[in-house]
Amino acid sequence: MSDLAAAAAALGIPEALVKRSAEARAAETGASVDDILAGWAGGEGAPAPAAAAPPTEAEESTGEEVETPPAEAVGPSATPEIVIEVPERVDEPVPTTTPTGPYRPPVLVGVRDNPMMVLLGVFGLFVVMALVGLAGPSLPTDIPGARSSSVPYSEAAEAGRELYQSLGCAACHTQMVRPVIADVGLGAVTLNDTNQVLGTRRFGPDLSDVGSRLTPSQIEALIAGLGDHPLVSSDRDLISDLVTYLSESRTSPPQDAESS
Amino acid sequence: MATLHFLVGAAFLALGGAIQLLSLVSLRFAGLLPLNYGMLEPMANLTLMFGFATISLVGGIYYVLPRLTGTKIRPQGLAGFGLLATTGMVLAGLLVLFAGLGNGIQPLGLPSWVDIPLLLAISIPLVVTVATIRRRVEERSFVTIWFALGGVIWLPMLYLAHLLNELPGISSVTTAYSETFFSAGFVTMFVVTVGSGLVYYTVVKELDVPLASRQLALVGFWSLGFAAAWWGAAQLLFGPTPGWVAGVSAALGLAFPLGALANAANVSLTLEGSWSGMYDRPGSLSGVVGLYLTVGVAIVAALAGFRSIGAVAAQTPFWEAIEYAALGGIAVLFVASVGYSALPRLVGRRLESIPKARRFIRLILTGAVGVLVTMGAAGIVSGYAWLGGSNSATYIDAGEGWGAGVAGTHDALMLLAVIFGFVLFLGQLGFVNVMFGTLSRGKAIPQEVLVPKDPGDE
Repeated sequence: MSDLAAAAAALGIPEALVKRSAEARAAETGASVDDILAGWAGGEGAPAPAAAAPPTEAEESTGEEVETPPAEAVGPSATPEIVIEVPERVDEPVPTTTPTGPYRPPVLVGVRDNPMMVLLGVFGLFVVMALVGLAGPSLPTDIPGARSSSVPYSEAAEAGRELYQSLGCAACHTQMVRPVIADVGLGAVTLNDTNQVLGTRRFGPDLSDVGSRLTPSQIEALIAGLGDHPLVSSDRDLISDLVTYLSESRTSPPQDAESS
Repeated sequence: MATLHFLVGAAFLALGGAIQLLSLVSLRFAGLLPLNYGMLEPMANLTLMFGFATISLVGGIYYVLPRLTGTKIRPQGLAGFGLLATTGMVLAGLLVLFAGLGNGIQPLGLPSWVDIPLLLAISIPLVVTVATIRRRVEERSFVTIWFALGGVIWLPMLYLAHLLNELPGISSVTTAYSETFFSAGFVTMFVVTVGSGLVYYTVVKELDVPLASRQLALVGFWSLGFAAAWWGAAQLLFGPTPGWVAGVSAALGLAFPLGALANAANVSLTLEGSWSGMYDRPGSLSGVVGLYLTVGVAIVAALAGFRSIGAVAAQTPFWEAIEYAALGGIAVLFVASVGYSALPRLVGRRLESIPKARRFIRLILTGAVGVLVTMGAAGIVSGYAWLGGSNSATYIDAGEGWGAGVAGTHDALMLLAVIFGFVLFLGQLGFVNVMFGTLSRGKAIPQEVLVPKDPGDE
């Protein structure tokens, strides 16, 4: 039986690990690998710490993913730059066995690789995802009849639009009529880009065509806190701008408002 | 450095959890509070996303990096400045939103003069992480390094993509997609990615068991990176977008539950034979619970990407439920996982109370699942009501076509959601209490100190 095999048998760990540990020890102490293996085969014990320096988990990471425990309970092995000081364990001898069995390498181990390659990978993945998942859906639709629903807003309505955004109205109201049964009656379907605020949640009614469904006074009453809608603002000028914006938000012909 | 991050993050959780609960109340009882949902929701998002989740998870990264790379965090000063800057910008953003000066672009609504400094602040962990890893001593990488690196790279990139909204000439369609892309991406590419990586570390470390499969962990990692865009895009089904988006988002959105399941299965395999050990280790328990909650949320989110379900769920509280459970539940469980494990080692004090920690994990899980189910159901109910409402006389009057009976069901479900939201908030407060309690009342134990081998290295 070779020294390597004998040492592996004595320590109860795989030969590859024993060999690597011996090489690391040899590099550190200046002794030959054979001498170290012979010593271990003779029962000298597993790699001991170079100084009174208990291990970091980084130090503990000395092998491949080998099944078994304990990290801190087992002790150190490789060359540290930083160490964990645990006072009561500083002078403990390094065990070759644990209470439950032979010495086993620590658990926080990985494989030799270059994490910087991950950087390139995740960067590339993000660019692809952003192009396909963000830019892709923004391309013009191929739906027949698709058009840009640019609503001609007055200056006051533009101010109201900014107010609509800053007050967070879009958190509850969409301005996006979809080609589904649920949205029938809300106005023209939003088939393409629009200068309205699309929004993504509809806790309150869709407002894309609200100017065709409600009169300015009805809109003002809602904004002023009448009915179920919370008070948006008590500032008359702000309310006025907001009402103007919503009144001018119409993608259907004006007569719709009269008929409704 | 990690300790400070954990404590600042915990303080923001108490604040953000309260605002999130208020936003839920304002959704159910419109007009009850002086601030409406449209203002409270971005404030809650800002506080939880950047004040709590970002700062706490970055704290977790700063905790594990030295232990996995064999070198200390570098540069320390920059890491500290990053914490200060992020905290400052979150507080500034809250003031801006409170004053009604936001731009209304969800989920944060911050104007560019707050957005850009915040982007710079959240880019600092990327610099620190890369600088630390570049000087590593340990050449073998535990999988947590991948997750940490991915998360800190994706976070600023997501935010940068979100900022495209502020360029002139950007269409409203792009704006809407970037909103969903960012909010979904934040959950999958940052919270779940970094959180899962930290759970791997915590479980393996606390229970002294080897990781079951490195390959499975990498499947989870890349799947999460691949999933985000599509989970977001699915929220705008039937919107003004190309027809191929629906099919592609439904198919690729499955990467979210795939990634979540890979991580949960991997940790479960790792724990084989050691499950009982979790009872006294709330860090591991919290992490495992968080992974399984992620699987549930991911399945629900992926299902809604299909046209049949999306036709009902789109634009409803259904999606809000997912985001609520993700930010208020999953993120907290992941942070508790690393926090409960790390804080005692960092401050040299035993966790204040393990039974208490376990109790609060249960509260967080109950609250998050409760909100997910009740608010999700409210979304489905309102979605179905819309489908039928357009043929009813109540359509215009009720705005969304909620018939009287359906509106009652919807309101009852939302009331339940508020109650579960309160339970969730109690769990969040409990976590904060245990963290600060450990610092002030925990029994003293030997403190773990990382000491450079060569003093000249300083």
